[in-house]
Amino acid sequence: MVESAPTSVRIAAVIYLVAIVAFVLGPLAVVVGVSFTAGDYITFPPQGLSLRWYEAVLSSSVYMGAAITSLKLAVVVTISATIIGASVATVIHRGRLPGTSVLSALFLAPLVLPTIIFALGLLIFWSAYFGRTSFAALWIGHTVIAVPYVIRTTLAVLSTSDRYLEEAARTMGAGPWKAILHVVVPQAMPGIAAGAFFAFNISFDEAIVSLFLRSPEVITLPIQIYTQLEYSPDPSIAAASALMIGLTVVLIFVIDRVLGIQRVAG
Amino acid sequence: MNKLRTDLLIAAPGFLLLMVGFLIPVAGILLLGVRDANGVLTATHLSRFLTDPFYLEIAWRTVKLSLIITALCIVAGFPLAYIMARGSARLRLWLIISITLPLMTSVVVRTFGWMVLLGRGGLIPDTLNMLGLVRRNYSLMQTETAVVLGMTQVLFPFMVLSILGVVMRIDIRLEEASRVMGCTFLKSLRLVVLPLAIPGVIAGSLLVFTLSASYFITPSLLGGARLPVLAGSIYETATRTLDWPFAAAQSIILVVGVLMLLIPYARLSRRANG
Amino acid sequence: MNAVQLDNISKSFGNVQVIKNISLSIAKGEFVSLLGPSGCGKTTLLRMIAGLEGATSGTIHIGGKDSTRLPPELRDIAMVFQSYALLPHLTVLENVMFPLRMRKIGNRAEQRDRAVAALKLVQLDHLTDRRPRALSGGQQQRVAVARAVVSSPQVLLLDEPLSNLDARLRESMQEELILLHRQTGLTTVFVTHDQEEALSLSDRVILLNGGRIEQEGAPKALYSVPRTRFAASFMGSTNLIDAELQPHGDGARALLSDGQVLLLRAKHSAKKRATIMFRQEDAILAPEPDNAALSRGALIASVVTQIFLGARTRYVLDLGGHMIRCLAPAGQFYAVGDKVELKISPDSIHVLED
Repeated sequence: MVESAPTSVRIAAVIYLVAIVAFVLGPLAVVVGVSFTAGDYITFPPQGLSLRWYEAVLSSSVYMGAAITSLKLAVVVTISATIIGASVATVIHRGRLPGTSVLSALFLAPLVLPTIIFALGLLIFWSAYFGRTSFAALWIGHTVIAVPYVIRTTLAVLSTSDRYLEEAARTMGAGPWKAILHVVVPQAMPGIAAGAFFAFNISFDEAIVSLFLRSPEVITLPIQIYTQLEYSPDPSIAAASALMIGLTVVLIFVIDRVLGIQRVAG
Repeated sequence: MNKLRTDLLIAAPGFLLLMVGFLIPVAGILLLGVRDANGVLTATHLSRFLTDPFYLEIAWRTVKLSLIITALCIVAGFPLAYIMARGSARLRLWLIISITLPLMTSVVVRTFGWMVLLGRGGLIPDTLNMLGLVRRNYSLMQTETAVVLGMTQVLFPFMVLSILGVVMRIDIRLEEASRVMGCTFLKSLRLVVLPLAIPGVIAGSLLVFTLSASYFITPSLLGGARLPVLAGSIYETATRTLDWPFAAAQSIILVVGVLMLLIPYARLSRRANG
Repeated sequence: MNAVQLDNISKSFGNVQVIKNISLSIAKGEFVSLLGPSGCGKTTLLRMIAGLEGATSGTIHIGGKDSTRLPPELRDIAMVFQSYALLPHLTVLENVMFPLRMRKIGNRAEQRDRAVAALKLVQLDHLTDRRPRALSGGQQQRVAVARAVVSSPQVLLLDEPLSNLDARLRESMQEELILLHRQTGLTTVFVTHDQEEALSLSDRVILLNGGRIEQEGAPKALYSVPRTRFAASFMGSTNLIDAELQPHGDGARALLSDGQVLLLRAKHSAKKRATIMFRQEDAILAPEPDNAALSRGALIASVVTQIFLGARTRYVLDLGGHMIRCLAPAGQFYAVGDKVELKISPDSIHVLED
């Protein structure tokens, strides 16, 4: 079909593609560009080249504190979201519980419902029952957001796997738990792993829930950047942002390796 | 029975999280917004919003911006989805990576990029100035254009991916058949691919509209205090004035407003599906 | 003037040449089949006539007009796809009107009338307002045919249109296609991998192999006198035997490895090894002969296995170390291990070129 598209259309398509990619990636490229500036102000193109703002970020206790909080949070969220997401996906995939379709709609609801609403709800709920917001509140909030992604990637793999393998395992003498451990989990592994990386990325980059539930003790990296942006922007923001972009790029390629980014996106 | 118990046990942590972390907080909001201090049903908070021209303007701006953003995403997204679907697997992979990168980058980072591009002395105002279109020291910050640009960049991938999913499933023979029957390439896009891609366009629009109506970080950084949107107002009310019932009421208005626009649209989608 | 004229057409995908220098003319009103196994290039050739694939070299004339570089919409053709390719968002009638609308043939009312007439031709004029998805496979196929004939194109291209139908439906659709061709007189190019289909439908069969024309001709000629081993084995169930040929009277004789002899009508002046072929239905089985018959030089074979087919039984026989197949009427029965006499007319045995 592409072969029979007229030349004029194909030229237009190439120009359009270049423009779209510039539009989508341009802002990120600018951030990376700014981070290498030698000047004192946020300017693009950067003035001179230096790593001084990276040094500034890496030696700043504020940034590093926020980064450590974000990392800790992302790690525990990854663990909880992966375990919960993978088990829920297994149950949804089997479809034996009554009302499975309602169930899966409920578990995927955090993807659709505006995050701000649930963030506000969590803030009010937490304050009413537990007082001041804390690390644990963020943990729960991020896990709720990350679980649907793990469910989706796991289901994507399970839906293409052989339904009868588990039953086959049972006929070979494996109990229900052993069948899950030795047959279902290994089968779903690419999906679970991709979901785990997703969960990590979501928690590490999340800003809405973090903003609502922030307290002086729990400032994540995105919140630190946000605060800096509002009050005293300098190129250290660009350096911190560039580091976050770098992490995301690594995660995308890892996810593509593990599961294929097309299956995740589709 | 035994099987069911196993399944329930496996899903139990999920249920617990869903209850505590999602359902109860969301239900709490819905109740808080329509009750007074004594727990009696009241419309005070809702009517406060709906009668104050300041808030109505916020609501109108939210709807307007979301509509513009959704329309832009459709216009820019459909051709990309088509090219991705019909291009080589390699091209498709690189384009997917290009559009998922901003999607997976923190919203603050993305928005920061736009602030640099659009602010005073930024690349875009400087270029416009060089072309003689604007005065020196012009800034696009604090404008609706800035909000629309920043939000479109973020939300456009959602549109592309949902159209892509549908176009990938359109049999390429249909396009070939239409060509053999006398359609030019562009006519075949308009008369065959576009009508069949409508479900994807609708699904993408629902997603983009909902998300753009509920984002507040990008609008507050790029639009600033002069251009508040509904989600931003909820955030301000909840964290600055600490008037939680009113914040909850605004949340209800956001959800109901989005639903009111979405339900007829979703019905349209069912009709398009035949 | 030929309806379709291909001159020295070649096509490569990357480094792979799938069509190798094919020249072909199709007369107006002719029904031509492109026959061959998958990967022989038959569909590619059809798609090149349609303009869906470009030619790497060579020229294509349709209706006398050089169409080599024309996009499909500017060629006066119609095509029925294997998957039918009915537009799912349009009704049956709208589908059939589509080519008329795109080619701006007649006004709205005329388009409607012509579309209804075309649907009547395939007996579907009562389903005009249905969506394609609500039709059975056979009905979809008829809509696709109606949509293709409605604009009275120079050439009608059919890409394995019957392959998705079940056996019974396929038979009745074959009959309808023959009828339709007679009624419309459209020049038709039909792609198939099913030799029976090609033989029963067409005026001329083009047998393709590896991107080249292996052999072409009227169905009868192609079936009974295949020139090559490929043509012989592709065109129906065939017995191939390597034997030594010797001149013998007016014709020749083939010496089998166990010393038995087959007589041929074909003339061969010199001794040589060659492949000879005969159809399984051309060998007649008789009970084990007596000594008198043996002295006449009767062919003796032994039964290896038999397969009951209903009206007939297929026997696999060992003829001097060669496994051959032949068909016997259901009334005859031979057990495994029986010796039988094999009668083959010298006219039915052909010598292959390779």
